[in-house]
Amino acid sequence: MTDVTSNSAAAASLSAERRARRRKRAFRKALMPWLFISPYLVLFLVFTAFPLLFSVYLSFQEWNPVTGLSGMSFVGLANYAQAITDPWLWKSLYNTVWLAIATGIPQHVIAIPIAYLLVTAFRGSFRHLYTATMFIPFITSTVAISLIFYTIYSSNNGILNQWLLGLSSVPVIGALFAWVPDAMPIRWLGSSDLLKPAIAMVVIWKYTGFNIVIYSAGFLTVSKDLYDAAKVDGCNAWQQFWHVALPMIRPFIFFALTLTIIGNLQLFEEPFILTAGDSGGVSQAGLTASYYLYLVGWEWLEMGSAAAISWILFAFIALATSVHFYFNAREGLEGHN
Amino acid sequence: MASVELKDLTKSFGDLTVLHNLNLTVEEGEFVALVGPSGCGKSTLLRIIAGLEEPTSGDLTMDGQWVNDLSPRERNIAMVFQSYALYPHMTVADNMGFNLRISGMGKAEIKQRVEETAEILNLSELMSRKPSQLSGGQRQRVAMGRALVRNPDVFLFDEPLSNLDAKLRVQMREEIKRLHKRVRTTSIYVTHDQIEAMTLADRIVILHGGHIQQVGTPTELYRNPANVFVAGFIGSPSMNFLDATLSTGGDRATLSLKDGQTLHCPLSDRLPAETEVTVGLRPEHLLVAPSGANDNVLHGTLELLEPTGAQNHLRVSINGSTLTAVDNTLASVTVDQPVALTIEPEKIHVFAR
Repeated sequence: MTDVTSNSAAAASLSAERRARRRKRAFRKALMPWLFISPYLVLFLVFTAFPLLFSVYLSFQEWNPVTGLSGMSFVGLANYAQAITDPWLWKSLYNTVWLAIATGIPQHVIAIPIAYLLVTAFRGSFRHLYTATMFIPFITSTVAISLIFYTIYSSNNGILNQWLLGLSSVPVIGALFAWVPDAMPIRWLGSSDLLKPAIAMVVIWKYTGFNIVIYSAGFLTVSKDLYDAAKVDGCNAWQQFWHVALPMIRPFIFFALTLTIIGNLQLFEEPFILTAGDSGGVSQAGLTASYYLYLVGWEWLEMGSAAAISWILFAFIALATSVHFYFNAREGLEGHN
Repeated sequence: MASVELKDLTKSFGDLTVLHNLNLTVEEGEFVALVGPSGCGKSTLLRIIAGLEEPTSGDLTMDGQWVNDLSPRERNIAMVFQSYALYPHMTVADNMGFNLRISGMGKAEIKQRVEETAEILNLSELMSRKPSQLSGGQRQRVAMGRALVRNPDVFLFDEPLSNLDAKLRVQMREEIKRLHKRVRTTSIYVTHDQIEAMTLADRIVILHGGHIQQVGTPTELYRNPANVFVAGFIGSPSMNFLDATLSTGGDRATLSLKDGQTLHCPLSDRLPAETEVTVGLRPEHLLVAPSGANDNVLHGTLELLEPTGAQNHLRVSINGSTLTAVDNTLASVTVDQPVALTIEPEKIHVFAR
């Protein structure tokens, strides 16, 4: 009897030990994936989640960073109310939308046909060389580009004005530029009417090459058989482009448009450099939302207001992207098998 | 419908000539298959006929009209591609009606013609679907419909069944045959599958290395292959080849194999003039010899027995070569044991080496 009791006790102890070991193994197994992704999680929490939440908190405070953290005071929705009634914010949003449209549309209207011609008319190394050349503006420092354009736009010695003057004295085509000598010096960066188009030119020049690369990749995915089928169906070159190639790169158009919308609504460096960081240039014609955000936060040191403006800008970009997704996502994201 | 004629047609890509002086006439309403191994130039030839490639030299005429410079549309051809090449962003109906739309036909007429064609091909239920929502066989039928709807003078098929599974391939083969019987449009069909070519075509053109090897009906090619390539290409399993020495004497020719065994065949003007020849024996013509037979009998060792149900495939080693025989009698033979095969003299093929 004693033997039986001691045996069953030993069996129970063994089974408890096994269960404990199994639990330990299961815990280790569950822990392992978290350990692997923990470096990313730590970085995400420190550099993304915390600043994001802190900016939400900050948007309800009045805070000059010079005074330290103790200088914060809760103001409720005052920062938002002030931002919404601030005419500079609305002006900066207007400028941002103006520049987004004026630079966004040409980028794609120029990039799509050029990419198509590159893919259909040129082969191999020449296409790669050309595409790489077009891509250079995108990988060049925006500050450097903007500084170069700053000198190009210079009203007295800028190349642009000199060219226009030169063209006005060329026989035949000079008639088209007859107005130039009277208009000199044209103040590209000093006139509220010309500042935005001048900024737009820089942005178009910088980002068109990037879109050409995206669209070239898109056109390269279109099977040669489809072009052959279109030829057999009687399509000329334009019809092949319009009816076959263009619909086939819809996902690429969608992707490129999304990047353009987000990028253009965050435009900062180009207007900042071209206006020499001077409150958005003449009549704030070059003041974009990001630029304004910078002025409020880092020039005027009103961090609470800057945080509130940043969330308003976020809502604005989210709205614009949502509208784009609503109208274009179904077809844009549709894969073609 | 139109006839198609090639005269001294040559195609080169740089220094590489892929088609050499081809001459061929495809009669009105005829179904011709271009057959050959990969790289023989059959698809290039089809693309030249379609107008998707230009010949380097030579003439291409359709119904007597020189068409070298005409676009695919002006030639009024329709083509079914190996990949089907359906426009993924269009529905079945749009795919089928696209060429009519491009030609400027009115919407009502396009609708009517597309519906009629869809009816023929049993596609009526699928008209609003996109190609990605169709099975392989359905896509194939849409590709056929797209070609059929425009009522072309010539149908061109570029290996249209090669992406289908074996069962569906047989089914679609029948459909193509039935369709051709119904519309009788001149058709040129490229395939590397000789069974497909044999079952579908009125005439077969065998291409190899950019040269036409032989043109003929399936039966002609099977019975009287012009050379070793055609003989080996047509027929399944492939013809067996043995080196032999040809001698003629009396009322028959004697073929002496290297190991001393002999075969006899009738004298005919088809026998080559050379004495060193290649003997061709079709597997289905080789029979397991009854004991005691000694005329036209080859002795060897059974290497492998492959039962396929209705017949056995025997792999027999004879003097270092391995012959395949198809045994419909399911004779009782044992692997690694001697076996004797016999063949009727009339069924022996002899080619110059």
